[in-house]
Amino acid sequence: MTPVRLRAELAGILGSDAVVDNPTELRSYECDGLTGYRVVPSLVLLPRTGQGVAAAVRVCAREGIPFVARGAGTGLSGGALPVADGVVISLQRLRSIVEIDPVNRRAVVEPGVTNLGISQAVAPYGLYFAPDPSSQQVCTIGGNVAENSGGAHCLKYGFTVHHIHAAEVVLPDGTITTLGGDSPHQPGYDLLGAFIGSEGTLGIATRITVKLLSRPAAVQTLVADFPSVEQAGDTVTSVIAAGIVPAAVEMMDTLAIEAVEAAVAAGYTRGTAAVLIVELDGPADEVAAHLAEVQRLCREHGATKLNLATTASDRAAVWKGRKAAFAAMGRISPDYFVQDGVVPRTRLAEALSRIGALATETGLRVANVFHAGDGNLHPLVLYSEARGERDRAERLSASIAELCVDLGGSLSGEHGIGTDKACSMPRQFTEADLATMARLRAAYDPAGICNPGKLLPTPRLCGERPGPYRPHPLEATGLIGRG
Amino acid sequence: MAKSPPGPVPPAALRPTDIGELRAAIADTARTHPRLRIAGAGTAAGWAAPPEPADMAVDLTGMSGVLAYNPTDMTIAIRAGTRLDAVQDKLSKNSQHVAFDAARLAEGATIGGLLATADGGPRRHLYGTLRDLVIGATVVLADGTIARSGGHVIKNVAGYDLAKLFHGSFGTLGVVAEVVLRLHPAPRATATARVPGTAEQAAEAAGRIVTAGLEPTAIEWVTRDGGVGDLLVRLDGTPRGVPERATAIARRTGLPAEILAPEAADELWRTVAGVATGIQGDTVLRIGTLPSSGPRLANRVTALAGEFGVGAALTSSIGVGVHTVRLRAGPPTAHQRLLTALHREAGSAVTVLRRDGLGAAPTVWGPPPPSIRVMRAVKQQFDPHGRFGAGRLAPWLESQARTEEQSL
Repeated sequence: MTPVRLRAELAGILGSDAVVDNPTELRSYECDGLTGYRVVPSLVLLPRTGQGVAAAVRVCAREGIPFVARGAGTGLSGGALPVADGVVISLQRLRSIVEIDPVNRRAVVEPGVTNLGISQAVAPYGLYFAPDPSSQQVCTIGGNVAENSGGAHCLKYGFTVHHIHAAEVVLPDGTITTLGGDSPHQPGYDLLGAFIGSEGTLGIATRITVKLLSRPAAVQTLVADFPSVEQAGDTVTSVIAAGIVPAAVEMMDTLAIEAVEAAVAAGYTRGTAAVLIVELDGPADEVAAHLAEVQRLCREHGATKLNLATTASDRAAVWKGRKAAFAAMGRISPDYFVQDGVVPRTRLAEALSRIGALATETGLRVANVFHAGDGNLHPLVLYSEARGERDRAERLSASIAELCVDLGGSLSGEHGIGTDKACSMPRQFTEADLATMARLRAAYDPAGICNPGKLLPTPRLCGERPGPYRPHPLEATGLIGRG
Repeated sequence: MAKSPPGPVPPAALRPTDIGELRAAIADTARTHPRLRIAGAGTAAGWAAPPEPADMAVDLTGMSGVLAYNPTDMTIAIRAGTRLDAVQDKLSKNSQHVAFDAARLAEGATIGGLLATADGGPRRHLYGTLRDLVIGATVVLADGTIARSGGHVIKNVAGYDLAKLFHGSFGTLGVVAEVVLRLHPAPRATATARVPGTAEQAAEAAGRIVTAGLEPTAIEWVTRDGGVGDLLVRLDGTPRGVPERATAIARRTGLPAEILAPEAADELWRTVAGVATGIQGDTVLRIGTLPSSGPRLANRVTALAGEFGVGAALTSSIGVGVHTVRLRAGPPTAHQRLLTALHREAGSAVTVLRRDGLGAAPTVWGPPPPSIRVMRAVKQQFDPHGRFGAGRLAPWLESQARTEEQSL
């Protein structure tokens, strides 16, 4: 089918204002939050309903055209990178909150609703949606489902996969099904669980039933300064060993604090080697008991200053600073890469000192912001494109991710594999592991048209044999890049 | 305790002790013994639909033991044939546990079997089931492929989560060989409060307890003889916090709440477990509904049991909508008719946990879930020649005989 006829057919189904083929507009879909990879799609579709999504996918399936679902485009692993000659299906017009059921503590929403939008809509009932990625003001629930998003509070509350009851899904052949159901007790394979975190490769969620939690009775947020990253890390280990499960445990190092203070002046102590943010929530007496213990453990491990954020606005300032950390890097470096590796919590100090050594070797700075409670690191590799440091920075970034695997961890804690780390997957998984994952993919998408090239390494991107990253020919000639 | 009949017994059994032997047992028998029956401790032999005949049994109880336990990271890797109650004993020495309390633990159920049957206990209210606690799994497929997903860290989104597929698979996809679990700190203090009342009162009270932020670990409404029941609320936490939360229950619900002595609490939690296990001749079902539909289901079960002359006990994780029903006495036809009526009531979300009360050729599964086509496609990809679990998900998955004809 010619592009003109395809466009006409899709415009007939979805309405002409739902089909974008103007080159200027198409350019705005060429990348997601990982801006180093750019591919202009041949068409962008903006359906208004789940039926519209299904109709669009049916046309793609019939014609063998690859399609990529896209929410807000805030993903950091290139999971929504378009496919050349493919179609992007934007879920931005599916933004209804279909139903709020406070009795059963759940809501039915369309995929384009923002993460924060859900919590705001259900706030009058004293409820909220627990996963809270730093991009929560703009990222969409559809993207959260695709990436199995986490956030700062997943130590206690888990990830998106723990907070979804059901999803209406358009499968890659254009049929609509429902995964999950009213109750966690569902028969047969946990197909919903396998779908969540599949990075848009198994289908498109068009309606999502989210689980809502009641606001905790009490919240306390402690900010503790430490003279070294190791002491802060040991404190985290001792808190967990004491049987305390904080809602969140975050850490930032000197460089990250400097950036955050320059950007939003959140009140962190400039110059301190490490700051720990420990948030406790739950019944008031439990929180009080645990807080006293955490304060004691911080002092025992050499904390130089303890600051308790007692009011909601104090807490908001602490979190504003933490959640602004990535964006704040612009204050101290022209360019940066974000990593997302995970190490066993007990190897945090080792990971940080090896990252420091790698940075010194490369001659680049690395700022560290991380979810210390679950060992999820976000090293920010600072570099200057103008000074030609990009290649070095990229190599450093990849070695950090692979270091995490070598320490018994994972390439990604929450940003996903996407395009960015697909070629590193053989570092973490064997060929047989990856081939088995490919079987799951083939069960949902036998034609291989649903977000191809993401998550699993392909010869096209990684060379003929899956292995450590090699530049793609187009990359070598400067036509595409990694970012 | 008495076990349900496991179906026809295969002529021989292999008993691998590690993943290498398991792989060999599967790969080497592809031609000689195409149909395998995988078994752990056998505590779920009477679950789901009866197995079809197999050429050989593979006994996984030899694949037992801890592979790696790091108390500080709060993760443990174990072989799939390991009894979970033994693991819990070991963990308790470090004041840790797997936050999972299915009734079958007391019978010696293995971690692999518990995962494959999607079992759960009252702690599902806060912690979910094994799908929420397993962070890594290694499986062996019909062609001898060894595949791993997840890992040893709690937060990990690299690759597909194969363990989720095996949750509820009843042995139809492959063999779970090794499992990595997330651990939780064992509570320093615990208390159970009992609030007597009807299902409607219990549902209302459960809502208030959750909304008040009391963070119960379990909220279970279990029937007593005579139409009423007890709402049991388990609170875990610190010696300072737990008593305060327990006394808040009466205040928050406006109902009389008794804080039970430890022995009395244990006794009632054993009653709850007893509904899920049953005894020889019982039928036990697990049903998922919206939480708010719990009282309606409870009343429906009572009415149907009266109509068919069957004794019924029910325990509901009323905050999440998971109900376990035990039918006792009355003829098998009455049990089957009651099950069929519940299939109409709750659709596909009905699992049989004990089928020996249903008679010779039971209709175990109800209408298939909407995603059945995907389930079949996954089965086809993972076990195209039908080596594993034939019959257990029948008629949702096609029978082994048909699969074999197609493969010839």
